[in-house]
Amino acid sequence: MLQAIRERAQGWLAWVIVALISVPFALWGIQSYLGVGGEPFVAKVNGVEISDRDLSRRTQQARIELRERLGEAYDPALFEEGRLRAEILDDMIRQTLLLDTSNRIGMRVSDEEVRVQILSEPAFQRDGRFDRESYERLLQLQGLSPAQFEEQLRQQLLGNQLLRAVVGSELVTRQEFDDYQRLVGQTRDLSYALIPAGDFRSDAPIGEDEIRAFYEANAPRFQSPEMVKLDYLVLDVADLAKGAEIGDDELRRVYDDDQSRFGRAEQRSVRHLLLTVPQDADDAAAQAVEARVRAIRERILAGEAFAEVARAESQDPGSASEGGSLGTIEQGLMDPVFDTVAFNLPVGELSEPVRTRFGYHLIEVTEIIPPATKPFDEVKEELRAEVSRQRAESLFYDLGERLANVAYESPDSLEPAADELGLTLQQSDWIGREGGEGVLAHPRVMSAAFSDEVLVGRTNSDLIEPERDTLRAVVLRVADHRVAAIRPLDEVRDEIGEELRLTRAREAATQAGSSAAEKIRQGVSWSEAIPAAVVETPAAVGRDVQTVPAPIRELAFTLPVPVEGAASVGTTVLENGDVAVIQVTAVKDGEVTPSEGPSPTSEAAMLAQVLGRQVYDAMLDDIELRAKVERNPIKTTSDL
Amino acid sequence: MSYETDDEKVEAIKAWWKENGVAIVMGIAIGLAAIVGWRSWGDYRDSVAGQGSTVFDQVLASAGTGQTDAVMAQARVLNDDFASTPYAALGALVEAKALYESGQPDAAMTALTRVIAAAPDPALARIAALRLARIQVAQGQLDEAAKTVAAHDTSPEFAGDFAAVRGDIAAARGDTAAAREAYEQAIAKESGFSQVIRLKLDNLPAAG
Repeated sequence: MLQAIRERAQGWLAWVIVALISVPFALWGIQSYLGVGGEPFVAKVNGVEISDRDLSRRTQQARIELRERLGEAYDPALFEEGRLRAEILDDMIRQTLLLDTSNRIGMRVSDEEVRVQILSEPAFQRDGRFDRESYERLLQLQGLSPAQFEEQLRQQLLGNQLLRAVVGSELVTRQEFDDYQRLVGQTRDLSYALIPAGDFRSDAPIGEDEIRAFYEANAPRFQSPEMVKLDYLVLDVADLAKGAEIGDDELRRVYDDDQSRFGRAEQRSVRHLLLTVPQDADDAAAQAVEARVRAIRERILAGEAFAEVARAESQDPGSASEGGSLGTIEQGLMDPVFDTVAFNLPVGELSEPVRTRFGYHLIEVTEIIPPATKPFDEVKEELRAEVSRQRAESLFYDLGERLANVAYESPDSLEPAADELGLTLQQSDWIGREGGEGVLAHPRVMSAAFSDEVLVGRTNSDLIEPERDTLRAVVLRVADHRVAAIRPLDEVRDEIGEELRLTRAREAATQAGSSAAEKIRQGVSWSEAIPAAVVETPAAVGRDVQTVPAPIRELAFTLPVPVEGAASVGTTVLENGDVAVIQVTAVKDGEVTPSEGPSPTSEAAMLAQVLGRQVYDAMLDDIELRAKVERNPIKTTSDL
Repeated sequence: MSYETDDEKVEAIKAWWKENGVAIVMGIAIGLAAIVGWRSWGDYRDSVAGQGSTVFDQVLASAGTGQTDAVMAQARVLNDDFASTPYAALGALVEAKALYESGQPDAAMTALTRVIAAAPDPALARIAALRLARIQVAQGQLDEAAKTVAAHDTSPEFAGDFAAVRGDIAAARGDTAAAREAYEQAIAKESGFSQVIRLKLDNLPAAG
């Protein structure tokens, strides 16, 4: 059999078999193109899956952006994980829908268009021209291959095209714009009068039944939260620094000990000449070089200029052209052997040959710049501040430890700790969990105050340092505690009575206002309808005129336009409870700017832009309504 | 069936192949041709759509700089040569604005009618109908506008926008009560311009 196969393996049958075998290979892995199976998805939009991983990545990105934008104000609790995720998922679904729709209706972005976009992107340009290297490097930074990036860009362009088509083609008709100007610029003539609620206030006692009924109906309002009174000690580095006295002689000692900070070490201007000795040279070769150096030294001693010789002979590429000059150096910059020689040589004397790992040097010092120091008086105050801060800090840690110990050893009172450390025992007023003033405003302090050990066990708290970068520490204990409760009726009776009187007065004023409005509607004069009132009659009130109170203005512009035989009258309640009766007497439309040429004004263009944007949103909603969107329940992963 | 020797088997296979070989080869060939044909048809369509896309970008650019003549010329190219792509309709949508703003409301209405007929997605037809109705109101063709609205007010997402146009039609006819009702409906359904509609509503004369 095998023999037969081998014989025929050359023939046509072999080719048929190969062809048949190649078919499954060609189709193998096709599911990865069709997207069958794979990762878990959170939503499916018209068959397109949005993967959990993509959503998590986008959520994480959004969080980072928020954090950057809000800076200090960023509070993770404000952006609850689940809600942020849900919002971003909605966004992704819409984006997917938009792309799916654009594709489905046959919109495409040509390769040419993608190419033009890439070529004109400033980030990919160098010297004003597209630079392939920058392009590839930037993509690499984002972890994208050019093909992936181009696909992303293509989708972006595609999504944008429909947006631009819809928003960019929105128009505002001439009539609509004229109407808009008339309405926005409209002014109205008003008459109004105030009926003060205070006029209807009575001091008559209010029935117990009524008060009780109010109390029972509004129980949550009389809830008083759980509160504590605290005893506490504060240890603050700022106070410690204030107390410390530091004598001049001590400052002088610090100054003397730490000279290097206030001065500059000796510097020398040095020039040299180097003949190199290769790393792997043997002794004989080294000696040969040394001999040559000695010869050069003789020439200089004989009167040749150092600079000229160095320029001609030195094998130090950096300094040879400078006549051997190394500029000014400080100790520690050069090879130690070089240093030792250079810093012991008097000015103007040529050294013996010096062997370093580079080779043989001839060294000459051309100038010595002596060390310089800032005088003590100049730095005294700076030093004093520094020393006192250091002193206070070490005192702070020392006292902090003792405070913690004493407070722990006598857990039933803070007095021993206050006595031992000389701190003042402070006492707070009633405060709730939201915190009090100063150091008590800090959440870390308040959570300690309401912790089990402190609140229930009534022991001293641990040493609390509320802010990481501030040296301030607190120990506290609960002096008194009040549980959350509904305040007793006796305590709030007067409060309720006052409130009920106010409500009644307001109701009566509103009542009076309505009946006065009705009279005016009937044609009764103002002075008859509201005898005590002062009638204001502002003319040509615009929508944003500040001289007329806002609630009155608002009502004035929502009342119907007066027509013959129907007065336009209404009432509104001001913030302080007073009631205003308002009549619109005349309406004057805003001025319409005549059209200048065919193109719309910028204001009309802006209106069109807003309108277009909203129509675009409606379009996406409409598409979503018709689409098949399937959501998997959102799994919240805490990625903080 | 059983075969005595390998030769017999080979003979049987040969015989089978003689009988069916042509059919198999033809089948594979047709299959491959279909795949290749489908692919190149898709490529061709993509390339036509891509060209249409490029022309449409030019329409947008011309419209952005107010060159009405260029917009019209390019929109005509889209209409004539790219009718199989959505760009014919999108081009007409942009053209309508350019025409209206250059003082040719009738031509603009024709363009919008074309968009409605050729819209690749119902939402685009609704947007075009909305604009058509608004131009009709501005031109005083209230009956036509009412007809346009009635024919296309079929999606809850655009109901508010169409209600606003109905309000404008009623207000133009002096039917305050109907206008009030329509405007209130538009605001309730969050039409695009609820603030302006609020102003219109407040400005209606008192009933009675």
